[in-house]
Amino acid sequence: MTILEKIKSRITYCDGGAGTLLQSWGLKAGEQPESWNITKPDKIIEMHRQYLEAGADIITSCTFGANRLKFDNLEEIVTAAIKNAKTACEGYDAYVALDIGPTGKMLEPLGDLKFEDAVSIFSETIKIGANAGADLVLIETINDSYEAKAAMIAAKESCNLPVFVTCVYDESKKLMTGADPAAMIAMLEGLGADAIGMNCSLGPKQMAQIVPEFAKYASVPIIVNPNAGLPRSENGKTVFDINADEFSDIMCEIVKSGATIIGGCCGTTPEHIRKTVEKTKNLPFTLPEKKSHTVVSSYTHAVEIGKCPVIIGERINPTGKKRFKEALRENDIGYILNEGLAQNKKGVSILDVNVGLPEINETEMMVNVIKALQGIINLPLQIDTVDPAAMEQAMRIYNGKPLVNSVSGKEESMDAVFPLIKKYGGVVIAVTLDESGIPTTAQGRVEIAKKIITKAKEYGIDEKDIIVDPLAMAVSSDSNSANITLEAIKTLHNMGIKTSLGVSNISFGLPSRADVNAVFYTMAMQNGLDCAIINPFSDEMMKAWHCFMALTGKDKNCSDYIEFADKLSPVQIQAVQKSETSLDSCIVSGLKEQAGAVAAELLKTSSPMEIIDGMIIPALNTVGMGFEEKKVYLPQLLMSAQAAKEAFEAIKSAIPAGESKKGKVVIATVKGDIHDIGKNIVKVLLENYGYEVIDLGKDIAPEVVVDAVKSSGAKLVGLSALMTTTVPAMEETIKLLKKNAPDCKVMVGGAVMTEEYAAMINADSYGSDAMASVRYAEKIYNIV
Amino acid sequence: MINIIKSAAAEINIDPKEVAVYLGYYSAETDENTDTLIAECTEEFLKAADFKACYVEVAVNADGEIDLGFKKIGCSSLKKNLSGCYRAYIFAATTGIESHRLIERNAVISPLKGIVTDCVGSAAIEAFCNKINLSLENYEYLRPRFSPGYGDMPLECQKDIIEFLQTKKNIGMSLTESLMMVPVKSVTAIIGIGKEKNKCTGPGCMICSGINCPYR
Repeated sequence: MTILEKIKSRITYCDGGAGTLLQSWGLKAGEQPESWNITKPDKIIEMHRQYLEAGADIITSCTFGANRLKFDNLEEIVTAAIKNAKTACEGYDAYVALDIGPTGKMLEPLGDLKFEDAVSIFSETIKIGANAGADLVLIETINDSYEAKAAMIAAKESCNLPVFVTCVYDESKKLMTGADPAAMIAMLEGLGADAIGMNCSLGPKQMAQIVPEFAKYASVPIIVNPNAGLPRSENGKTVFDINADEFSDIMCEIVKSGATIIGGCCGTTPEHIRKTVEKTKNLPFTLPEKKSHTVVSSYTHAVEIGKCPVIIGERINPTGKKRFKEALRENDIGYILNEGLAQNKKGVSILDVNVGLPEINETEMMVNVIKALQGIINLPLQIDTVDPAAMEQAMRIYNGKPLVNSVSGKEESMDAVFPLIKKYGGVVIAVTLDESGIPTTAQGRVEIAKKIITKAKEYGIDEKDIIVDPLAMAVSSDSNSANITLEAIKTLHNMGIKTSLGVSNISFGLPSRADVNAVFYTMAMQNGLDCAIINPFSDEMMKAWHCFMALTGKDKNCSDYIEFADKLSPVQIQAVQKSETSLDSCIVSGLKEQAGAVAAELLKTSSPMEIIDGMIIPALNTVGMGFEEKKVYLPQLLMSAQAAKEAFEAIKSAIPAGESKKGKVVIATVKGDIHDIGKNIVKVLLENYGYEVIDLGKDIAPEVVVDAVKSSGAKLVGLSALMTTTVPAMEETIKLLKKNAPDCKVMVGGAVMTEEYAAMINADSYGSDAMASVRYAEKIYNIV
Repeated sequence: MINIIKSAAAEINIDPKEVAVYLGYYSAETDENTDTLIAECTEEFLKAADFKACYVEVAVNADGEIDLGFKKIGCSSLKKNLSGCYRAYIFAATTGIESHRLIERNAVISPLKGIVTDCVGSAAIEAFCNKINLSLENYEYLRPRFSPGYGDMPLECQKDIIEFLQTKKNIGMSLTESLMMVPVKSVTAIIGIGKEKNKCTGPGCMICSGINCPYR
């Protein structure tokens, strides 16, 4: 019987903790237990035997921390560990799990371990373990969803063994990085885990509270490996507070709640396992039912599609947006992030991400934007691209189970998209068109939907992971088009198939489009539409959604509606009269909104360059000098900078091309340094003063800085480093710059920098604060 | 035995004046706009924060060194700090991943909001550490927190402390290759336990290697 057959035939038992046993046999604090596989194999075999005697079906190899970051002799250790486990299993009907623990490092963007490096670290250990003859891979004690994803991908790409995954939840039922069980289940099942659950940190009592969440969402068997309660100190030794009797009693409850693979973690002993086996082996065995929820997830939570209409924000998309295209061309990720943040504030549940533009590398941009978005926004994302390469890379680095837009009924499209959905897990939007175009009847579109679903099943993709978009076509060119779409939604809804729609196409060519869209959106929801890609900045659309929710009883006591309606009558910003407030005083006082309004008003009588050179820059100088004289403080300086920026934005479009910028400055936080607040302040001030700032971001390799200088022709580079440990990277960057771009000057700053230190590493200038960088730029570009 | 302590946000008192000091005001009066911003960012930070700390009580040997089992920690400035102490706490604390994300998010919204939230975070982790340290001071006196990077104590000691306290598992805190702590608002320290109220050696912060750090 294979392990996969076994877990479907009866309750299956894992082993318990290794630490307690090994320490009692002489393992010292700080000593690596993995090394005992080579130095004391008999002890490791004895530990496995004790658990096998206690009734464990699965024993975990002593390889928890075995990865290349910790061991130079990785192959030797892992091979020996599997051999020891297999030796112990001789004579028992048991399976050897290759134990894979966390890397010990934090993944980007929180830490500095790159996702692909994590995949590669896990792959290396898994390949060795699989070659040595492990029966399954057990990924365990993971407290970050992203690390779980890296390990899952590594397992799937490195071997054909079954993969079990258990993560560490805390009392708030979340992983350390924020994911709840529903989110983890969606992602791990999507990636093809054969069994999932929890281990470590909590005792059985606390885990018993989490198991029902798993039972509610999981379709694969549920694993529960608790600690022996909570640790406490007794005569200098760590002991756990739940003995084998109590432990096994609670494990009975856990089995009744739905777990079918059980064992123990820290503090548990063979006795805990023996008693658990005794008490639970005759309990009824019930595997989780296969669930039909359509779920996408982020690194914190899941969004279920089909309960009430879900809004997908459409604004991260360059189509028809000049400013957005400009941001893509200039690699202005900050602008794109703010589009995401603003939609988040409006209450969307999912963000669509489309960054395709002919002149940019879409794959690279898509990956960068998704990484940046998931660093600061916890909404699930919809990966929106027609490029399969961009789609694959985006799905791979996405931290969760994504929504993917889209697949069509064309063979070529299905052949390209379905293998990705199968491999990475995702919910895909299926648009009802194929080689013969878009059917003109609802039935025709439903037929294509059926064809797509049938084909998806051939790839092993469930119907629940397909959302059909029956397409909205302009009602101005076919007066029946809305009826066709609505009928298709209704038919699909009645068949239990989830639907989505890009709503605004319906009004193409008509006046007052927002009104048409909103009414059509309401009609579609009434016909069963599950999600819609809309513009959340449109009051009409948001009104339609909130009213629909209230009127269909989905908004209890209409409380969300009331809150929404309250915000609808915005406080009008008082029209500012030029005579009352000068641009100068707006900037000096840091009045953002007023500065924009006044500058726009001034354009009627002055040229943009008169406004910049005659008003904005002098005002900034007043504040800047105040700062240098320590009469004005950093927050005030930044408030003025924001006001100046607003004034710039207001007059920007009137500036003749090529006249606006004084010079280019490349700025970056050096390699190894992950903090960039200081650098961002420098950026905003330099921009204020009219410099074109090429911001490379943080943790930037020397070569990248050199490349940017060469390609932009910038005469000045600003580098920031926060700690002594990253100053060598700064020195290296300067060295490389001096060699490859000798005419370029380098200014440096950061918490540990001093005039002397800067001179020592060959920097041309040291900036003690952000204003100093402006002054140096003025010097280099001969502005003053 | 690693002790883990959590605090609810409501128990952490962030003093706006302290935040203003971090923002460079020192003793100068803040203006109303800045006050409003500090209040707003403080509210957001406390909502996002998950205050966790862990510590182990260890012996200090006659040479003023601490034996972690796999490594000894000892250097002249630490010895000075620990003089007269026979025991010490190895200590780590953090404000949590979500507060880290908040600082990143607010920095995208605007550099102003970013820097204010960052300074609120600095005040918050200090307030949290002070609160925990005060609660540990029973019948005996604690020395000022002494962190890697202070005096001649190498930053590399971070690695040993993180390993010893298993901070990633216990409080969700880890180190990057360049020894930066994640979440960003985290502290590691050694805190001497003495029988006598030692003449304070001054804020440990003052002998940190970040001599240009605006917060010292």
